[in-house]
Amino acid sequence: MDFAWSDQQRELLDAVSRFAREQLDYEVIENDRQAIFNHEAWKKCGEFGIQGLLVPAEYGGLGQDPLTTVAVLERLGYACKDNGLLFSINAHMWTAVTPLVYNGTEAQKKKFLPGLCNGDLIGGNAMSEPNSGSDAFSLGTTATKQGDKYVLNGSKIFVTNGPVADVLVVFANVDKARGQDGITAFLVEKGMAGFDPSHKIEKMGVRTSPMAEVFFENCEVPAENLLGKEGGGAFLFTRSMTWERGCILASAVGAMQRLLEKCIRYANERKQGGQSIGKYQLVASKIVDMKLRVESARHMLYHYGWVAGHRKAVYLEAAMTKLHLADAWMKCAEDAIQIHGGYGYMTEYEVERELRDAIGAKLYSGTSEIQRNIIASLIGL
Amino acid sequence: MTQPVTKILVPFKSVPDPYEAAGPDGSGSGAKSVINPFDEIAIEEALRIRERGEASEIVGLTIGAPAVDEQIRAALAMGVDRAIRIDDARALDPYAVARILRAAVEKESPQFVIIGKQAVDDDSNQVGQMLAGLLGWPQATFVSKLEFLDNRTRARCARETDAGLEVIEINLPAVITSDLRLNEPRYVSLPALMKARKKPIEVLTCEQLGVKVDPLTTTIATARPAKRAAGTRVESVEELVIKLKQEAKVV
Repeated sequence: MDFAWSDQQRELLDAVSRFAREQLDYEVIENDRQAIFNHEAWKKCGEFGIQGLLVPAEYGGLGQDPLTTVAVLERLGYACKDNGLLFSINAHMWTAVTPLVYNGTEAQKKKFLPGLCNGDLIGGNAMSEPNSGSDAFSLGTTATKQGDKYVLNGSKIFVTNGPVADVLVVFANVDKARGQDGITAFLVEKGMAGFDPSHKIEKMGVRTSPMAEVFFENCEVPAENLLGKEGGGAFLFTRSMTWERGCILASAVGAMQRLLEKCIRYANERKQGGQSIGKYQLVASKIVDMKLRVESARHMLYHYGWVAGHRKAVYLEAAMTKLHLADAWMKCAEDAIQIHGGYGYMTEYEVERELRDAIGAKLYSGTSEIQRNIIASLIGL
Repeated sequence: MTQPVTKILVPFKSVPDPYEAAGPDGSGSGAKSVINPFDEIAIEEALRIRERGEASEIVGLTIGAPAVDEQIRAALAMGVDRAIRIDDARALDPYAVARILRAAVEKESPQFVIIGKQAVDDDSNQVGQMLAGLLGWPQATFVSKLEFLDNRTRARCARETDAGLEVIEINLPAVITSDLRLNEPRYVSLPALMKARKKPIEVLTCEQLGVKVDPLTTTIATARPAKRAAGTRVESVEELVIKLKQEAKVV
């Protein structure tokens, strides 16, 4: 393993740090309160090159490796307090862009990827259903082939980017008798008849990332929008989830570093009983634990990035990274509130939001329990 | 001599990154460099001039060891067409820099030089003025607004002065130094940064430029400013006045 940056990577990462500091360090409190998605920041990220990091240059991307990609996302998370924006970008990259890169036809790639890279288009996927969550492949949405089109019926819940998406990768079953082998992915575009993504869902954290419940009522999808092959949806989804698990909390490592530095500053400035609270061992110990969590999370993330760039099967590393980073982020956010005391509980201090944003990490891309199941099965249990 | 502007030379300097000061957790080495912010504004202005169709080529130039190639690539990524590095790792004083730049101007024959009003590391604020003097060109310093007149043979410049905004017109070719308020530089996108790796960097020595520079000044020592001593508390206004008179001697 070698995480040493080449000159080229270092220049790229420096440019990212500066871009994030100058363009993405905006106020978030009001956007969070009103659940406002920052479309302008999304567009800037696209023009800067974020959404296309892993996409080959011929389709408008940068063709970077996974390690560079997670390091870029980490730097965004450090400077950008809008965890919701970064969550939306992640959903877009791992559940729409990556499947297109792997499974898209030449025509599909040419049609969607340049726009998905440069910020013009927003993507996402629709998998979970009201009665199908962790047991994902039991989904009930159907796709019936009629001539040169498929007709979709059903509903999907927790669709990140749903209300603003231009294209969604939607999973439906073409033949329930085939069970998991009937699951098929479709590219459903905004404005298609019978597709309704307008039902927004309110949530606890990452509130600036829009989410919807979407409905398909005799939604006609042309056969050319079939992504991959009929029955290939389960494999496509698993690969997409593996990427997502490994990378989605890269920005959280940056967020943890930001929280750590904020806590150190506060512990040095805040005086009680005649000294800085950081001089009290109970406070110092908490901050040392935060430091350890950030470092171990970063090592785990870079290790995943390196492995993902060097071999094919990364299910175990992806699941472990997701599980560990979610716990680390949660605990860092919780401790950050404790260190800030009553102020930490107040919106203005911007640590309570971090805890609300972090909790979701134990639920999306497979709950922490599901990650443990995956790890257990992969280590021989 | 009155040939309309087609080529712009933008000299720039690498300076320590102000954002890389040691962080509270010990992060930040202080070793990273960036383009001097005022020079970055000069680069941005040159790009805007070219984008308006008022220049066809922008040549960037810096002086330093190969390590400054990183800042050269940042300039190329912003949109500078090509770049020259004068390979000289010494700490040069403003007069030496101005003499090298004069040689570069004679080699490249630009109709216009735009450069930051000062570098944020040594704050000398002399290179632009000295270069104009050496070339015998007009100069406009601390420029916050710039427009070309008369088929790009003259320029109207707004200058930020203590007395207010001064507007002057100068003949070209000329040297302009940029103020903070001239523009807000664009950020470098990742695709541009990757493309910049393919643009050429020409490396020249002072000998090749036919200029021999030896610094006129020597740095004796560099030290941190003294820490501010703690103040004292006075009991009454009378005592304060006495101390101001007798100790501080300010009233």
